[in-house]
Amino acid sequence: MTSTTGYVLYLVFALGAAGLYYLLPRTGASKTAIGATLGVSALVGLFVLLGAHGSAQRRDEVYFYLFAATAILAAVRVITHPKPVYSAIYFVAVVIAVAALLLLQEAEFLAVALVIIYAGAILVTYLFVIMLAQQPGSPIYDRRTREPFLAVVVGFVLMAMIAGRAGELPARAAEKAILADGGRNPASTASLLTGNTMAIGAAVTTKYVVALELSGVLLLISMVGAIALSRKQITSDVIRSPRRTLGQIGKEVEPF
Amino acid sequence: MRDFITSQFGVSVVLAFIVINVLLGAVSYCIYFERKISAWIQDRCGPNRVGPWGLLQPIADGIKFLVKEDVVPNHVDKPLFIFAPAAIFLVAFIGFAAIPWGGQLELDGRLVNIQVANPDIGLLYILGVGSMSVYGAVLGGWASNNKYSLYGAIRATAQMLSYDIPMGLCILVVVLTMGTLRLEEITLQQTGYWAGWIPQWNIFLHPLAFAILFITALAESNRTPFDLAEAEQELVGGFHTEYSALKFGMFFLAEYAHMITASAFIAVLFLGGWHLPGVSWTQPQATQWYAVLAKIVVLSTKIIFFLFVMMWIRWTLPRFRFDQLMRLAWKGLIPITLALFVLAAALLFFDRQRSPLWALSGNLVILVVALITASSSRLRVTGRQVNLPTIAPATDFVRLGRVEMPL
Repeated sequence: MTSTTGYVLYLVFALGAAGLYYLLPRTGASKTAIGATLGVSALVGLFVLLGAHGSAQRRDEVYFYLFAATAILAAVRVITHPKPVYSAIYFVAVVIAVAALLLLQEAEFLAVALVIIYAGAILVTYLFVIMLAQQPGSPIYDRRTREPFLAVVVGFVLMAMIAGRAGELPARAAEKAILADGGRNPASTASLLTGNTMAIGAAVTTKYVVALELSGVLLLISMVGAIALSRKQITSDVIRSPRRTLGQIGKEVEPF
Repeated sequence: MRDFITSQFGVSVVLAFIVINVLLGAVSYCIYFERKISAWIQDRCGPNRVGPWGLLQPIADGIKFLVKEDVVPNHVDKPLFIFAPAAIFLVAFIGFAAIPWGGQLELDGRLVNIQVANPDIGLLYILGVGSMSVYGAVLGGWASNNKYSLYGAIRATAQMLSYDIPMGLCILVVVLTMGTLRLEEITLQQTGYWAGWIPQWNIFLHPLAFAILFITALAESNRTPFDLAEAEQELVGGFHTEYSALKFGMFFLAEYAHMITASAFIAVLFLGGWHLPGVSWTQPQATQWYAVLAKIVVLSTKIIFFLFVMMWIRWTLPRFRFDQLMRLAWKGLIPITLALFVLAAALLFFDRQRSPLWALSGNLVILVVALITASSSRLRVTGRQVNLPTIAPATDFVRLGRVEMPL
């Protein structure tokens, strides 16, 4: 990546940051039009930049732009929509669009795992909590962003730093290795043939087995913690009622 | 052109079109059969006015759904109110893409799969699509802006989240046994025989996992005894109380589509999919067009059998109470499926994963231990939940029967 491209990229990110800042919900006069214009121009600039510097023309490139645009627009709506339930739904859209992007990268296991875990479990729980906790009307914390300027600056600086470095990442190292030896090395081609679900399984249970076990233990600890926090001590005398025998089942139904 | 049609992609497109249309017809006839079966169980006649034996009843119902007034109440959240039935309908139908309907077909000297898509992760795809199915109920209930609908939505969420866990564990048992996530491959591995005549279906390896998967399938498709989300006596209609005309119809049809997906899924995982022992047309080597048709008929028969059992259960068993439902999932099914999962992993470790003797005796041991634990447990299985804290600090008690009640 040349330095000029880098500066254009940073400019595009600054434009996006300004757009998002104006889009965030605020109490005063709404500036959505300015924000939307800035944001869309930033998105178009980013895509033009990507298209100009794309390595090889691929047939599925149009899908990349489609799902990337969907993901970014939905992500913006997640933080700008005044109703929390809609934010959760847009989050689901983000997850599905990102899963589609992963599919384009032939990471189908990651894609489906993302959908099952995020869209299928975590966001349903979010939605559950939002529905239970929502108050009538629209409270002030849904209509106004807390610290919009700092949040936008921090987020976009981080993103611009990652994106500026993206050209130097070892992209598709395995694929390049296979292409380099012309598919003669059976060990490298085997990883492509067995499918990446198997490859992920093998990697997780051999090379990264300690990390896997540690994350399992961490999840277990957090689950025990959640149960310990949510469980109330039972002081009622009723629980000390005498032990039931089989014939008594159904005989001690209490009146309501 | 001919090349395109006989390629895998062409076959997939044609098959997707056929499957969607056949299923749309099938779900409306499911409603007819549900009414006929309920009438048979309750000693009534059932629908018999429209056409011979009432066979045109689904068409009349469809016309009624179409021409009724589509009421959108004033107090609802309109975008989500309209989105919810679409979401539940879409999710109920895209799961069929990974079902292997009829093995392989020989077209112009090439073999094509009678399956819309055969991804590496077919099983996970169906699981992922199934886990999205809760959104329709949840959003419909919330957008209706009605207390009863919201209760229905909340019940649907809690139930779906709880029963996803034993379902996933049962599927993992199959994955450990088969060593693949491709549904076509899972079917192929079940086409062998033990002792020359017993088909190597997974039901003969893990009958307990099969039974639990069937129970969770009932819960996931919101069927009685798990239809807490739309309990008529308590919640009017649950999450679809405010829906009318075709929007209600879509909720209704999606439930039956879910039943068909779940049945097809169980048939593929545990009953060998399109395989029928002793019939040469349903063996993997048979790739003629009539063999493919025979395989589709075999799989459909298995699906129809499961649908019948689901309807039979609906008109036989009463509905659970919500705490019973939760207790069944968290204290009953999840421990049993965890034990089954450990069993499957141990069999895999000792390389006995395809041995019916070891798998069956393991299943039997788990069942016996579970029954002994359940019958000797101190937990109440009926009556109100007494282990909840009292609302106000109770000071004096009155003897009521032999149970102490806070006054």
